[in-house]
Amino acid sequence: MNYKIIGKRVKRVEDPRLLTGGALFVDDVNLPDMLHAAFLRSDYAHARIKSIDTSQAAALPGVVGVFTAEDMGEDWEPGPPLVSPPPTLENVTFHSRRQVPLVKDKVRHAGEIIAVVVAESRYIAEDAVEEIQIDYEPLPAVVNLEKCLHPDSPLVHEDLDSNLAAHLVQKKGDYESARAEADLIIKRRFHLDRGAAAAMENRGLVVDWNAKDQHLMVWDATQSPIPIRNGMAARLGLRTHQVRVVAPFVGGGFGPKIMMFYAEEMVLPWLTMKLNRPVKWIEDRRENFYATTQEREQIQEVEMALSKEGRILGIKQSIIHDTGAYNPYGLTTPLNTQSHSMGSYDVENYESELTVVFTNKTIVTPVRGAGRPQGIFVVERLLDIASRELGIDSRDLRRLNFIDPDDFPYNHQIIDQAFTELVFDSGNYLPVYEKALEAIGYDRFLQEEQPRLRQEGKHVGIGVVPFIETTGVGPYEGARVAIEPSGKVSAATGVGTQGQGHMTSFAQIVAEALSVDVEDVSMVTGDTAEIHWGTGTFASRGAVVAGNAVLAAAQDVRQKALTLASKILETPEEELELDGGLVRVADIPEQSISLGELAVLANPFRGAVEPGTEPGLESTKYFGPAYGATAFGVHALILEVDPETMMIKLLKYVTVEDCGTMLNPLIVEGQIHGGVSMGIGNSYYEKLHFDENGQLLNASLADYLLPTSAEMPPIEVIHLNTPAPNNALGTKGVGEAGAIPVPAAFIQALENALPEYELEILETPLSPNRLFELLHKQEENQ
Amino acid sequence: MKVEGEHLFKGTPQQVWELFRDTDVMAAALPGTQKMELVEDRKYQAVMQVRVGPVSGEFSGELLLSDEDYPRSYTMSVEGRGKPGFLKGVGDVVLTEQAEGQTLMGYSGEVQIGGRLAAVGQRLIDTVSKSIISQAFETLDRLLAERMVAAGEGREAAIDSASQGDYAAAVARDLLAASWMKWVLGALGLIIVVVILVIALF
Repeated sequence: MNYKIIGKRVKRVEDPRLLTGGALFVDDVNLPDMLHAAFLRSDYAHARIKSIDTSQAAALPGVVGVFTAEDMGEDWEPGPPLVSPPPTLENVTFHSRRQVPLVKDKVRHAGEIIAVVVAESRYIAEDAVEEIQIDYEPLPAVVNLEKCLHPDSPLVHEDLDSNLAAHLVQKKGDYESARAEADLIIKRRFHLDRGAAAAMENRGLVVDWNAKDQHLMVWDATQSPIPIRNGMAARLGLRTHQVRVVAPFVGGGFGPKIMMFYAEEMVLPWLTMKLNRPVKWIEDRRENFYATTQEREQIQEVEMALSKEGRILGIKQSIIHDTGAYNPYGLTTPLNTQSHSMGSYDVENYESELTVVFTNKTIVTPVRGAGRPQGIFVVERLLDIASRELGIDSRDLRRLNFIDPDDFPYNHQIIDQAFTELVFDSGNYLPVYEKALEAIGYDRFLQEEQPRLRQEGKHVGIGVVPFIETTGVGPYEGARVAIEPSGKVSAATGVGTQGQGHMTSFAQIVAEALSVDVEDVSMVTGDTAEIHWGTGTFASRGAVVAGNAVLAAAQDVRQKALTLASKILETPEEELELDGGLVRVADIPEQSISLGELAVLANPFRGAVEPGTEPGLESTKYFGPAYGATAFGVHALILEVDPETMMIKLLKYVTVEDCGTMLNPLIVEGQIHGGVSMGIGNSYYEKLHFDENGQLLNASLADYLLPTSAEMPPIEVIHLNTPAPNNALGTKGVGEAGAIPVPAAFIQALENALPEYELEILETPLSPNRLFELLHKQEENQ
Repeated sequence: MKVEGEHLFKGTPQQVWELFRDTDVMAAALPGTQKMELVEDRKYQAVMQVRVGPVSGEFSGELLLSDEDYPRSYTMSVEGRGKPGFLKGVGDVVLTEQAEGQTLMGYSGEVQIGGRLAAVGQRLIDTVSKSIISQAFETLDRLLAERMVAAGEGREAAIDSASQGDYAAAVARDLLAASWMKWVLGALGLIIVVVILVIALF
């Protein structure tokens, strides 16, 4: 479709406010009479609480109150289960254990909240926290993913027989028969470890109960204001309209800000209603390392069966997935791992056993990529190994196994994260792959540059990895679009914004449908007063699910404007057109009426609104896809490694992305850049080190290494377009794409740079230290 | 975290054993110790001020001796808790008689740390604990010598503890061994020079 505004590189309209300090973040909210909360968090990963003495803390001047689980009385209850297990699968074991507002009897991870202090300032509150005396009985911690299933392991939840949180098997075809026919079986064990989302803005809340108004106002740095509003109202016994949740500008989400409900989100609203004063809490960085959810740890054993020609006949997989101390987010993340373990390939036989375990570590919920990088990592690593063992060019191996473009929609016959059939709606993988090989200069690099640089003593390597990303899943999202009497357009959607540029990309959709300028569209996201229904920002779904709802609402408003204008201008609708904020007769442009005038007339003071019509030029529409839209792409990179210092320099980085119709290429590229930097962190820098007692050893940004601009290469982003067939815009998500294939491509390039070591790396994240160990182990073996 | 090492004392195993049983001596030897007392047989209580990088605060804890084989070996268990976190450790101490009335003390143990101390102080804890140990041995050597002299003269041995200043100097010295610290100090020096220049110019 030929769009005038959609797909254009429109500069982000929110940026002037963001760049000049004019945007509201939760920490900017300061109310008269506001109190401050600080939390006492457990130093132990696993310990029984024998007694709590808050008397000294409560006696400090400026302290308003100190509260424990006991003080909450009957209001104490665990958080709601966010996602239940898939009802569509048989023989699923799932033990739901949800996080609690304040620990009653036993702490299950370091950083879990035992008490809260409310004081006149944060300083006083923090000082008072140090005065709380807790008598702990330390218990041995459950940390190791395999040992935790041993019969004599300590238990995270003692009412269960073991630390098993969930178990299921997904099958497609008949792997055992495929295995019997195979010429080559490759079996490897993979260990993928934890990282932090490390958003620039930590979590935070300001809550304000107005007893006279009987209204609760909440500012929350959340990705999902509407479910938070619904949940808070339910917990507090209020009507949903008595609670307004605003997620103002949020400095990065990446998944953990949707882990409804965090303990703080349960405790603070309760406090403001109890104390009748506003209360504020802003998470500090160390709290963020302990208390904000994390992701990625899995141990996998994966077997790939291949023919001697290189066809993948089947994959058999066993995943142990760490869910941390509780599992409010159900099975979303490991189901995503299964959905991506066949990668971009046509695999007829697949058998995957999933074992989810409880450990005494921070809760695991999706972090940008959400289980997908682990799936792509194992399948791409196995193909790299197969290429060596079969003596087939790794590129030919991939070309041979890609799903054929004629096979779409491609039904994978397993269940995806949304519990619907895993169907890839559309795709065309070969052109994207060839484009990436060409753009990175694959042949020239191997034939000319690499040998030349080797002669100069430089260790350079290349990695090229294709991936898919299931995006844009349901259940639904809504949008409200209205033309104001001024002629400007206001629009709202329930998804929160954490830097994605929604105020621009969604405004482009409205502007396109109503033929107005982007600047004349005022887009609001993340305010429950603006729209009542919705879910949130997650699973790379904003552009697909909210985007198409915005389109539907805007098109409906357009229709309403045309209908009314037709009556006023006494011209059939077919002869009218919208342009520059006017509805006019196509042949006689001077016969026109502005959208603003129409908006005034649509809300009459006299006469009557006709039966079957509504006042105003306003519409609210919803969009809920039956299944997701599958984006895909290829990342290609060249890196140099110094085998003395183990430091790495990325020399070139190319991504070829196909996310269907782009709303705004500038924003898509920004998403890719951010995702790649996260993927580079996941590959070589960002690892959370827990010791055998469940203590996090690098809970500061001095010790937990985030890639900085110095580690980032320039990134070339190339776009191809295979429109999504199941939504009007043809969009697919791209929010997580950038992070997904990076570890697989990075490790492929690292091995390629160090051929003399014959490395086979089956883990991430690496680090200079870890690479040093691996190289020396290889030297000993050789 | 593993802690192990050895130290040669200029005294007999019996003298070293007695030295370690003197709570005043131990309080003087361990930097930051504010109180140490015997509460029951082989059980001591102590309060210690600890600073590890950005983490500081008071620890109170218990020290328990067991499996004693006078004057050859014993096991020591420590459990401490404080605002900066907690620590828990078990270690074995072995005294071996050497020539010329000397004693080699070997120690090895496993220490578990948690809370802010582990999370933020991790990077420095190795250096800091080595500093504490080496400084403790310096003080103990001095006190042992003083005891022997005092015994010869038939008087009470005087106990002079190392000051906080001595301790800070020891930590700084050990940290300087790590090259990154030189960078930090170098950078600080540079900043100071720049500040002085700016003040001088305006």
